[in-house]
This record gives sequence, structure tokens and C-alpha cells, in this order.
Amino acid sequence: MEEQQNIETGKKNWHDKHYKTLLIIPIVLIIFSFIYLGIFYSQNHDFFLKDISLKGGTSVTINGQIDIPSLESALNKQFGEVNVREVSDLVTGEQIATIVETAASAEDIKAFLENYLGYKLIEGQNSSFESTDPSLGKSFYNQLLIAMLVAFVFMAIVVFILFKTPVPSGAVVLSAFADILMTLVVVDLLGIKMSSAGIIALLMLIGYSVDTDILLTNRVLRRHEDLSLNQKLLSAFKTGVTMSLVSLIAVFVALLFIKSFSVTLTQIFTILVIGLIFDIFNTWVTNVSIIKWYIISKEKKERSE
Amino acid sequence: MKKLSFRIWLFIVIVLLSLLSIFASSNGFTLFQRGVLITSVEQNSSAFQYGLRQGQIITAIDGKAINNITDYSNYIQSKFPSLNQTKIIIKTKDLEAILYTNNAPNITVSKIPKTNLKAGLDLAGGARALVDAQGKDLSSSELNDLVAITTNRFNVYGLSDIKVSPISDLSGKRYMLIEIAGATPTDLRSMIENQGKFEAKIGNQTVFVGGDKDVASVCRNDATCARIETCQQDSSSQYFCRFTFTIYLSEDAAKRHADITNAISINVTNPEYLSQPLDLYVDDSLVESLLISKDLKGQVTTQIAVSGSGTGATQDDAYKAAEANMHKLQTILITGSLPYKLQIIKLDTISPLLGQNFVKYILIAGIAALLSASLIIFIRYRKLKQSLTVILISLAEIIIILGVAALIDWNLDLASIAGILASIGTGFDDQIVILDESLHKTAYSIKQKIKMAFAIIMGAYFTVLVSLLPLMWAGAGLLKGFAITTIIGISVGVFITRPAFGDMIKMMSD
Repeated sequence: MEEQQNIETGKKNWHDKHYKTLLIIPIVLIIFSFIYLGIFYSQNHDFFLKDISLKGGTSVTINGQIDIPSLESALNKQFGEVNVREVSDLVTGEQIATIVETAASAEDIKAFLENYLGYKLIEGQNSSFESTDPSLGKSFYNQLLIAMLVAFVFMAIVVFILFKTPVPSGAVVLSAFADILMTLVVVDLLGIKMSSAGIIALLMLIGYSVDTDILLTNRVLRRHEDLSLNQKLLSAFKTGVTMSLVSLIAVFVALLFIKSFSVTLTQIFTILVIGLIFDIFNTWVTNVSIIKWYIISKEKKERSE
Repeated sequence: MKKLSFRIWLFIVIVLLSLLSIFASSNGFTLFQRGVLITSVEQNSSAFQYGLRQGQIITAIDGKAINNITDYSNYIQSKFPSLNQTKIIIKTKDLEAILYTNNAPNITVSKIPKTNLKAGLDLAGGARALVDAQGKDLSSSELNDLVAITTNRFNVYGLSDIKVSPISDLSGKRYMLIEIAGATPTDLRSMIENQGKFEAKIGNQTVFVGGDKDVASVCRNDATCARIETCQQDSSSQYFCRFTFTIYLSEDAAKRHADITNAISINVTNPEYLSQPLDLYVDDSLVESLLISKDLKGQVTTQIAVSGSGTGATQDDAYKAAEANMHKLQTILITGSLPYKLQIIKLDTISPLLGQNFVKYILIAGIAALLSASLIIFIRYRKLKQSLTVILISLAEIIIILGVAALIDWNLDLASIAGILASIGTGFDDQIVILDESLHKTAYSIKQKIKMAFAIIMGAYFTVLVSLLPLMWAGAGLLKGFAITTIIGISVGVFITRPAFGDMIKMMSD
């Protein structure tokens, strides 16, 4: 504990000198993210790739063991771009099902698969079918985007009501925004196809990222202890990093378990892991630098008056 | 022993109530029940007439104890189908039904659920269809009519474990949502998308249409007036079976029949019949042409025999197809046409096999996540009692969320589980804030410290709460599960478990 304190004290001095310079990192990252997403948008006409729940198409889950590479090549010849995935048992690692995702209609893909497998697929028994009409997928997508936007605006309003001062509130909202933005870039870089669950995960990120920022702002602005600004920042940092690490590890462990069998939860947890890592960065670099700058310049102004 | 605070007592009482809500049922504790649960009873079947209903628990058949599904299916399979009418005594908790039948009773059963929790479609299996009227925006009253007619049609068809509900989404568009638990009917798509417009015409004159205005009653489930008549093999070695059943027309329709037939001449080549047949159309396609006996010319007759056929590669297939077609025709004759042509815009048919494993895996993943998070807290704070309390509180939170879910009959799907995980996650964060504040070495009293912790927690709570609200309506309500469970979870946390945790920490630090 003692040793840790010393390291933190050393960092503190360094931080006093460089906290403004540190802001360059998030600024560069945010600019890069905007450019990347701009290019991505011009190529894909969207900010992320969409899966069939948002684009329309069919997802078939066939129970039992099937050789995936040969099925995939057969499907590719017939339907073009097709996604084939394995679902395996958590304990034994054995394949228990295969998921096929395609833009084709349920009838078409069913007929093809029955022909390929040589047996009938009985919906809801030896197989599961989930099909979404493209028109519905599109309306889902639009509504989720609106929901995201409204959620974000609501969040921002609550933050402004909480702290009543524009700069610290703006810093909280900015870090939440940066979290989502940077997470989205990584999602695109990894080639993840977003489902409605993925958008939900982005929404969850708003909540997860805001709570450490609120903790920070609260400790710095509202506490009237005889602590220096740096001491307040440090105490908030210790609590906040514990919070983020605990969430990160819990989500990461859950992800390891869930990866083998649930596509939906895997996507949610992957996005949360990425987002939580960015949250640590954005809270303790972006938000801290802004709030420190704000407090120091406010104190200077008060002294000069 | 220190005195427990009001908040801690409230917490304990709510956890206990939640356990009751999860495990207790009107028949006692669900965990200890034996027997099988009736999930559906076909209407108008003998099982239905003798009082068997959905939700009852069968404990014995013919005096033999039925403890589980295997007992039930073994016994029924050994007894049916039988050549003669056999007596069968089905004992449930409330009654004894005595049936005489040569077929297995028309009921479906499942094992008794161990808890009152209901798993959603993606975990328990079943089917879900989101339906839209083709080329028409439905008004709220139009949608309600559609829901009523569709529900009726499914019930007449013999599907009772089905939920039809009107929903609307963020953009104000309205849909009909059909949810079916358990096995998916094989012809679900055609049942929904076919309007079921029945017309009986002579030439281009309509004699009667489906629905209770023209059709007074339809004979079904009665072999004397509704049956499969003959089965034959045709030239292409296909089998086909013919069915026939009697319907009774209303006075008006019967009079129309008399007026129209009166004007038709007798067939010259086949003098037993009239020169024009009675054509039966379903959804504007001709399914059957029936010759009209010359005796019916100009007669006001209310009784009409409707017939049709089914084909198949084997006689058995053809028989089943004929039965299914008869069933469909009877259904649309009774319920009439749907007011709109419908289209399915989302259809999910989920096999229950994988979901059962999912629940197990999710539990393992949840426990692993909880343990690893607790371990970090223990390493960070080195306080065993407090770390254990964090685990205890998190478990209690899960119990309360599930308790509320059982209470409001909420179907837990994957999205809901993600919601539970999300609220447990924020719960952990909040407890760290409380723990951290309380262990902080400052001049403040423990009471003040916990008050300060709550300022942060409430702030975070409100931001999450408002960010979830739009999800209640977006995406045709299909993401409501996530929003609801998360809102329940974080609210339970902030108003019940966190205050109790604060008091517990206070007690520990005193």
C-alpha cells in the first residue's frame, strides 16, 4: 500500500506538468475515429456492418454435428455471402449445433439445407429458424439508432442537472461519447456484424461509462474536504479503477464461458469489454484532464479577482 | 448481536417474498410436486368435456401413479391406440376424469416446472411471428379486431397455448405478435398468411361464405358427420383420401341456395345432378367442385355436405393430409375470413433443445463472473466480511429480480438475462463506491460517508434509467425484455439492496 502511494505521488507531479498534453491523445483518437468512420461510411453506407436481424434474412440453427467447412463451401456456391458458425458444449467442447446466417429467405435456405443434409428440417424441433423481413430489419435499425440518440440526450440532460456546471458536465458527456465512438471503431476493425443485441450493448456502455465519470466529478466538485485537488483525483481514481476492473473482469470471464454457445451474449460482452477498456482511458485521461484544467483555471481566476 | 436496521429488515423480507414468488404455487412448493402438467387440451375433445384443463396436474392414470413425463408417455403408449373404446381414468389434483376412447386423449403435457419463472422463446423454444397487414396501416381498433379473429381461429384450430397481442413501435406502426410456447405447428406460416376466405359459388353467384353469418354450425370431432371416407391409389401411384363433413347453413344462406339452384337446369348427360356444380373457393382458388343432386333444386336446405381430399406418397400420409385439410376447412368455415391479407415480417421458430443447455451454461458463466469479481474486491480491500457481503448482496439482487419477474409473469429471454447481468454489474460498482467511501480515512462519520456514496449512486442510477427508456418502445417491443429487467434490477439495487448494504457496512465498521 505504502509503495503504491509513492508511485502515485510520483505520477502526480508528472501529471501536474503534463495533464494538458495528455489531452492530445484522446483528441487524436477522436479525430482518427471520425476519419475512420467517415471512410467506413463511404464504403459501406453505414457506421457498422449489420447482421440479419437488422438487415433482413434468415438464421438457421441445425442441431447436431455437421462438418462446417464443406457446408460453408456448398452454401457459398449457392447463396454468395453466408456465415456459418459452430455452437459447442461448454464442458466437452463438442459441436452441438451449427448456425447458418444468410440474406436468403427461410424457404430457400431450408430447401437447400434439406437437400444437402438429406433429411427434413422440422422447424422448432431439429432446427430453429429466425427470419426477418428486410423492411422490418430496416425499421428496427432506424428505431434503435433513434433510441440510442434519445438515450444519449437523456443521459446528457441528467448529467447537466446533476452538476449544473457546463464544463464538468460536458466532460462527462464527452467521455461517454468518446467511449462509444472508439468502441464502434474497434467493432468495425474486428469486422463484427452488429445485431440488435450489439446496439443494446452500446446502450449499456452509456451506463457503465457514466458511473465512473460521475464518481470522479462528484468527488472533485462536491467534496469540501481539506484535500488537495490531486488527492481528490487520486482517491477517485482508486475507487473508479477498482470499479472498472471488477466489471471488466466479470464481463471478460463471462465472455470466455459464453463464447462457445451464445452468439447474442458473446456480442454484448465483447462490446462491453472493448467499451470498458476505453472507459478507463476516457475517464482517467480525457475527463480527468478536462476537470483538472477547469478547477485550476477557476482557482486562478478566483485568486486574481 | 447488534440490532438490525429497518433497511436490513426490509431487505430480508423482500428476499424472502421473492423466494416465495419464485417457488410457491397454489399447489404448494413447486420443487416438491410430482406428476405432469397439462399444457393444452383440445377444445370440444372428450378430455375437455370431462373437465381436463390447461394448468392442471395429472398425478395418476388408472390408479397408477404418474410421477414424470416418462411415466405418462409409457402408460399412454402401452394403452393407445386400441381397437375398442377403452376406459381411462385420469386423476388430477382436483378431479377424476373418466374417458372412453380408442385414441390417446387430446391433451399435451409437460413436466411440472420447478419454479414459477418462465423462460423466453430463445431459451424454452416455441414460435413467434410478427405480422403486418399487407399494404395497409392498421388503426388501433382494426388491429384489435384482427387479434380477436386470429385468436379465435387458433383456438378453433385446437391451439390453445398461444398468445396473440397487438403491439406498436416507436414510429407508431402497429403489428400483431403471435407467440406459441412449445412445439411449432408445422403449417404456422400458411395458417397466418392465408386469409382463409371461404366462398361457395355456383357459376359466379356466391351461395355462402365462411363465418357465422352464413354458416350456423360445422360438424367436427364426430365421426357420424365428419370423417375420412375413402382412400385410393391413383394412376401415378399417389394416394389420395377423401373427407366429408356436414355443415348447417343459416336461414338466409339456405334461401339463397334455393333461389340460385332453382334457376339451374338438370344436367343432360348426368340426369341425377344439376348442370352446374357448387364450387368451393379458399382464398380465391378453387379447391373442390361438388355436384348438386337434382333433388336439391330450389329446396331451402340448411344441411350441406362439404368434401375434399388429401394426397400423399403413402396411404398413411394421404390420410393425415386429408385430416389436416378437413381441419383447416372446418376452421375457416367457423371463423370466417380474416379482414386483411396478412404477411409475416418476422418468424422465429426455436427448438427447445439448445435453450435447456443455455440456461445451465449461463448459470455457470454467471457464477464464474461473480466469483472473479468478488476475488478482485477481496484482493483490493482485504476485508473478508465485506467481500462476502458483496457476494451475498449480488445473489440477493438476482433473487429479487427473478422474484419480480415471476410475479409479473415475465418471460426471461437472452436479452433479459443480459439485463440482469448489466444490473448486477452496476450493483457491484455501487457497492465498491460504498465500501470505498466507508473505508476512506477522513473526518467524516460513517453515516456521512454513506450519504456521500449515495449521491454518486443516485446520479449514476438516473442516467442509466433514462438511457433505457427509449428501448421500451423501439424495435416493436422485442427488446423490452432487456429494458424491463435492467430497470427492475437497478431500481431494486438502489432502493433496497444498496441501503441495506450501506447499513451492513456501517454495522461492520462500528
